[in-house]
Amino acid sequence: MTAKDPAPDIWSLTQPGARRSLVFCAVGAVVGLLIAGIGLFTAQGTRTSTVPAEDVALVNNVPILTSDYITQIRALYDVPLSRATPEQKRRALEDMIREELYVQRGIELGMQADTVEVRTALTGAVEAAAAADATMAQPDEAQLQAYYKRSLARYADEGTMQLADYLVPAGVDAVAAVAALRAAGSGAIARYRLRQTDRMRDGEEYRFAARIHLGDALFAVADRLRDGQVSDPVTRPDGVHILVMARHVTPPPRPFQEVRDRVLNDYVAVQSKVLTAGNDRFLRKRADILIQKGFE
Amino acid sequence: MFKGRILLAATAVLVLIAAIVHVSLRAHTRDALMLADPETILSDPSLRTTAIGLGTDVFARHCTACHGAEGRGNRQVGAPNLTDGDWLYGSGQVAEIEEITLHGIRSGDPRGWDQASMPAYGRARPYTREPIPPLSPGEITSVVGFLRSLHGAPLDGAAVRGKVIFVGRGACWDCHADDASGDSAIGVPNLLDDVWLYGDGSARALFNSIAGGHAGISPAFSHTLSPVEARAVAAYVASLSKPHAKDSQR
Repeated sequence: MTAKDPAPDIWSLTQPGARRSLVFCAVGAVVGLLIAGIGLFTAQGTRTSTVPAEDVALVNNVPILTSDYITQIRALYDVPLSRATPEQKRRALEDMIREELYVQRGIELGMQADTVEVRTALTGAVEAAAAADATMAQPDEAQLQAYYKRSLARYADEGTMQLADYLVPAGVDAVAAVAALRAAGSGAIARYRLRQTDRMRDGEEYRFAARIHLGDALFAVADRLRDGQVSDPVTRPDGVHILVMARHVTPPPRPFQEVRDRVLNDYVAVQSKVLTAGNDRFLRKRADILIQKGFE
Repeated sequence: MFKGRILLAATAVLVLIAAIVHVSLRAHTRDALMLADPETILSDPSLRTTAIGLGTDVFARHCTACHGAEGRGNRQVGAPNLTDGDWLYGSGQVAEIEEITLHGIRSGDPRGWDQASMPAYGRARPYTREPIPPLSPGEITSVVGFLRSLHGAPLDGAAVRGKVIFVGRGACWDCHADDASGDSAIGVPNLLDDVWLYGDGSARALFNSIAGGHAGISPAFSHTLSPVEARAVAAYVASLSKPHAKDSQR
């Protein structure tokens, strides 16, 4: 550049200009600092200025879902949103905002550390979240069928028994009475003066009920009898018993389609336990747990 | 060459503007769906079109496995028919269906519906929540007789005994009501109509239900679906039992 050259116009976009670049840079830096400063000194968390469409309000940026709000109105006033009065809507919303404020205040105060009810509710909620994840997994039919096949015994009905429980009178030969029952059937009852107890007089019973009515010892004997069979004499504290089985049904497992909802429930419960156990392991793994000597 | 580039750039800008307008309109329509009173969606042509368009897709992805492609349910697995206007829970309002969609039934979600289930009277401990005595096979048969008498079968001696059990020690009335009309507030079926959740209403199906119990599950989708998807599928499900809504889609 010589002394005769005109001074370059720094704002002419047709000419490169280092000074112009510096000016733009400086302006950019100042604007950036201004925006950051305003943001820093006027920030309320990461507050947003609009409420998302799916929320009815934001309380310290925590959303109150419209669906929860509608449910609240129905629960409080038993009306759909369209028929709620403005006052009902206002009160429902005020209640929900108040609740959210109190929850947030409770967390600030550390209620979760020293309020038993809060701790119980939090524990339950985290466990429920694991259960919800298990339900959400939505096992397919193949998984359910596989579980059903692995757990067939669970899906059999209880089975039933219809039997007579006879007490042998003192002085009567129980072995002979059994032989007569097996040979002559009910004709031997009168001949040997056998007295039927009340334990199984209701007729057909589920097996669990028969166990309760007969007691474990007699039930074990009955469980081995098939239709029409007569037991050997069974000596119990109240005397000698003879069991005559009329009908003993041990049903096969019910078809998958008939018990699908139970299979799904059981499968989800098992998956929920698995997820909860995994959650326990994960939480323990990432936690720093120190245990006092002598309490390990 | 230069003109060609200008044209290309202009086209790109126009496509970009069109895309932005499309996305904005779509977002606006979805926002409108969320801001509207749920019960007005099906009567507003624009909202209904949006809701049913989106809801059909969500239903196909998440609901058809149990409720079937047409929403007619599956009585083998206790998935209700969503097209017959008979609602097991609630009264078929969009907001109610949306709540079930989000939080489920016996789903493990604490906000889900889980107030009652059908005890298994043929088991030693029929109900885990409160003590209820089991029934014998004969007693269950009597209750079945009573239920069949509500549908035209003769009210014979066994059915009368069944009625005594129904309103007595069986505690069936506690959920199904004295007159067996059910309670949609807690998801208890009406036993007077011909809408059966499980089986076909035959003696065998009723016996199995009473002896084995039931506790159907509807998953909670609050972590899977966006709020607008939940509302859209709720509106779609509500539309299945409202012929005028379906007609308008044809």
